[in-house]
Amino acid sequence: MRKYAFIIKTQVMSNLQYVFNLIFNYISYFIILFIFFNIWQYIYSDSTNLINGYNLNQMTWYVVITEIIWMTLNGRKFCIQISNDVKSGNITYNINKPYNYIGYVLSTHLGDILIRIGIYSILGVLTGFLFLGRFPDLNIFSVIIVIITIFLALIISTLLITFIGLFSFFIEDSGPFYWVYSKLILVFGTMFPIEFFPSIIQKILNFSPVYVVSYGPAKLFVDFSWNNAISIIIAQLIYLAIAYLMCYLLYKKGVKKINVNGG
Amino acid sequence: MAIIEVKGLSKNFKVKMKEKGLKGSIKSIFKPKYKIVKAVRNISFDVEKGEIIAFIGPNGAGKSTTIKMMTSILYPDKGTIKVMSYDPIKDRKKLSYEIGTVFGQKEQLWTHLTPYDNFKFFGAIYDLPDSVIEKKIEELNMLFELEEFINTPVRNLSLGQRIRCEIAAALIHEPKILFLDEPTIGLDPVVKENIRTFIKRMNKEFKTTIFLTSHDIGDIEKLCKRVIIINDGQIVLDDTMDNLKYHYLNKKIVEAKMKERINLDDEDGINILKDKGYNLKIEVDTTKRSVADALKLLNPDNIIDINISNIPLEDIISNIYKNKD
Amino acid sequence: MLTAAKNQLKVTKLSIKYAVMREMLNKTTFVSNIIFMILNNACMIIQWIVLFSLKDNVGGYTFQQILLLWGMSSGVYGVAHFFFDKAFSLANTINSGKLDAYIVQPKNVLLSAITSNVKVSAIGDIIFAFVMYFIYGFNITTFILYILFLITGGLILVAVSIIFNSLSFWFNNTDMVSDTVNSLMVNFSTYPEGIFKGITKILLFTIIPVGIANYIPIKIITEFNIYLFIINISVCLLLILISFIIFYKGLKKYSSSNLMSARI
Repeated sequence: MRKYAFIIKTQVMSNLQYVFNLIFNYISYFIILFIFFNIWQYIYSDSTNLINGYNLNQMTWYVVITEIIWMTLNGRKFCIQISNDVKSGNITYNINKPYNYIGYVLSTHLGDILIRIGIYSILGVLTGFLFLGRFPDLNIFSVIIVIITIFLALIISTLLITFIGLFSFFIEDSGPFYWVYSKLILVFGTMFPIEFFPSIIQKILNFSPVYVVSYGPAKLFVDFSWNNAISIIIAQLIYLAIAYLMCYLLYKKGVKKINVNGG
Repeated sequence: MAIIEVKGLSKNFKVKMKEKGLKGSIKSIFKPKYKIVKAVRNISFDVEKGEIIAFIGPNGAGKSTTIKMMTSILYPDKGTIKVMSYDPIKDRKKLSYEIGTVFGQKEQLWTHLTPYDNFKFFGAIYDLPDSVIEKKIEELNMLFELEEFINTPVRNLSLGQRIRCEIAAALIHEPKILFLDEPTIGLDPVVKENIRTFIKRMNKEFKTTIFLTSHDIGDIEKLCKRVIIINDGQIVLDDTMDNLKYHYLNKKIVEAKMKERINLDDEDGINILKDKGYNLKIEVDTTKRSVADALKLLNPDNIIDINISNIPLEDIISNIYKNKD
Repeated sequence: MLTAAKNQLKVTKLSIKYAVMREMLNKTTFVSNIIFMILNNACMIIQWIVLFSLKDNVGGYTFQQILLLWGMSSGVYGVAHFFFDKAFSLANTINSGKLDAYIVQPKNVLLSAITSNVKVSAIGDIIFAFVMYFIYGFNITTFILYILFLITGGLILVAVSIIFNSLSFWFNNTDMVSDTVNSLMVNFSTYPEGIFKGITKILLFTIIPVGIANYIPIKIITEFNIYLFIINISVCLLLILISFIIFYKGLKKYSSSNLMSARI
C-alpha cells in the first residue's frame, strides 16, 4: 500500500503548482461570473420574472456552465501553441511519425482538459450555488446527458481552434482570427442563450458552432428536454465530423505548402 | 590616484529553500525557509587609471556580483565603493556617464536594428548631439572594423561581430572605465583572440581603464598587467600578471596522440600525467623547458593529434591555497 | 532639470519609435492586428444591444453612455499597452535580471524598462476609443477632456500594474497576483458602476481604481464636475508617485540574475 501512497503523493506534489495556477486563473473567471450575476440581478428586478423563457436562476446557471466550458478550454493559449508549432517548423517533425497530427494534438489537449474540467466544474458549481443558493431542476439522466454534451463541446472546440491555429501555414499570425472567433462564441453563446437574439439571428445561430460548443450543454443544464438533448447531440456529431475533416484537409494543404517551399 | 576604490565589500543573497516531500512544499508556501548565500565577503582593492585589470574566478565565485555592485546594479550589504569618486548607489546617473558596460551573456543592443541605429540610440541615451554621435561612430567603425556589417540588423550578425558591436556601443559616450563581464563567453578560440586584440587596441587608443571578469585564463594572459583572483567570495590573490605567470602559469598541458610510444620519464621539466599507450598527457614546466622544445622531444612526425592548454583555473587556485599554508 | 527632462523624453520617444519599427517588420501582421482588435471590441457591443433590448437603462447608463464607457476603457487599455506594455510584464523583467541594462544607463530605470516594447493591437483599441466617442457625439470641450482621461486612465492602469509587479522584488511568484489585478481592472472597466453595490463599489474606488479611471470620466463628460475632475487628476498623480516610490524601494532589493546562479 505504501508505494501507492507514495506515487499519489509525488503526483500531487508535481501538480501543486499547477493547481495553484488554476485557482489564480479562477479568480478572474469568478469576477466575470460575479459581474454577470450583478447584471442579471439588476435586469431581473423581480426574481420571478421570465425573460425569453428564462428566470434569474436559469439565466445565472446558464452563464456558470458556459463559463466552465470557456475556462476549461483555455483556447487562447492552445491556439498560440498550435500556431507556434507551425511557425517554428516543429510540425514537420510530426509529418513522418506513425500517427496523425490532428489526433496527436487533440489527445494532448484533451489530457489537459480532463484535469481542468474536474477542478473548474467543482469551483464553478460551488460559485453558482453561492450566488443562488439552489440548483435548477435536475435528474440523474439529465446530468449524464449534460456531461456528455460538455465533452463533445470541448472536443469540437478543440478541433475548431486547431483549424484556426493551422492557418499559420498561410499567414504569419493567426491570433487575430482567434480573437474574433472567441468573441463571437463569447457574445452569441456564452453570455446569453440563443433565445435572446432576434428570430433571424436565432435561425443562423442554431446552425453555427455556438449551438454545439456552448449553448447546447448549458441549455440542457438549465432546461432539460429529451427533444433538445437529441437534436443537440446529433448536431454535435455532425459538427465533430465536419470540424475534423476541415482540420485534416487544411493540415494536408499546409504540409504540401511546406514541401513545395522546402519549409 | 586610484580610479576605483573598494573597501570591505560584502553581499549576501537570501535563497528560498525547499524541503523535501509534500509537507515541505506546502510548508514552503506558508513558512518559507531561507538560506543565506555569502556571494562576496569583505573584499577590498584599488584600481589605477589606465590599467587593464582582470577579475577572475570559477563560476559562482562572486565576480559578477562584485562588478554589478560597482556599476550600481546591486546594492552592497556592507562596505564602500568609490568609482571615479562617485558612490554607485547615490550617484547612479552621474556615474553612468563615466562608465561603459558589456555583459557577455546579456544583449544591450536592439536586435532588429542595425549597429548604426543602435549607436545612434545609445548616443541619445548619453545626451550626445547628433554631430558628435556621427563622429564617434566613424571612429568606432575604424577601430573595431565594423564597416562590413554596420548596416546589417544585429540579429543577422555572428556572435563575434555582435560582441564587437556591444563593446563599441558601450564606448559611444567615451567612458573613462569599461566593465567587461565575461566578454568572450561562448566564443570559439579564433573569435576570442580577435576580440582580445580589439580590446587591447581600444585601451591603447582611448586610454580607457578596463575592468574585466572572466573564467578563461587565456583572456587575462593576453590582456592584463594585473590580476585579482576571487574564490568563494574572497580575494585569494591580487598580483601582477608577471608574478602570476612566474609562479602559477608556468606550466602548460600537452595532450598528444602518437604513432609510436615515446619514453619521457627522465626528461627535465616534463611531468607525465597520463601515459596510456599512444595517448600521452604531459605537463611542461616552461621555466625549465620551452613548449617548442618539448614538442621536439615528441617528434612532430610522430604526432597524430595534439592539444596544448593552460592548467585549469581551479588547479591554480588550489595551488595558491597550498602555497599559503 | 529641464534639459534632463527633455533628454529623457527624447530617449523615450526613440525607444518607442524603434519598438514600433520592430513590429512593422511584418506589415500584414501589423495591420491585421490593428483591424482585428477593432472588430474584437466591436463584437462586445452586441452584448449591450441585447441587454438594452430588455431594459432602457443598465446600471443608470443609457446606451450612448455604455458606448462611451466601452470606448473609454478600450482607449485606456490601448494607451497603457501601446506606450508602456512592459509595465504589465515588469515582474518577469525583474526576475530574469533584465533590469541590469537600464540601471547602467543615465536615464530613469523604470521609464526605460516599461517603454521598451509596444503592443500593436493597442493601436486598434485607441482607434476604437475614438470611433465610440464620435458615435457618442463630438464637442470640442468633451473631446479634449476625453483625450485627457484616456491618458490619466492609462497612467492609472500602468501605475497599479507597476505597484503589483514590483512585489516581485520581495516575493516569488507574484506575477499571478499582478496578472489577476490587471484582468480585474479590465473586466470591471467595461460594465456600468450602477450594477455594483456595497463592498464591490468601495473596492472599485480604492484597490481596483476602475471607478476613478473610467466611471468618473464618464460622469464628467456627461456633466462637468470640478470636484470629480480634481479627484481623477490627483489620484492619477498620486498613484504614479506611489508606483515610483515602491519600484525604487524594491530596486534596493534587486538581485539581478544572481539568485538564479546561486540556486544551481
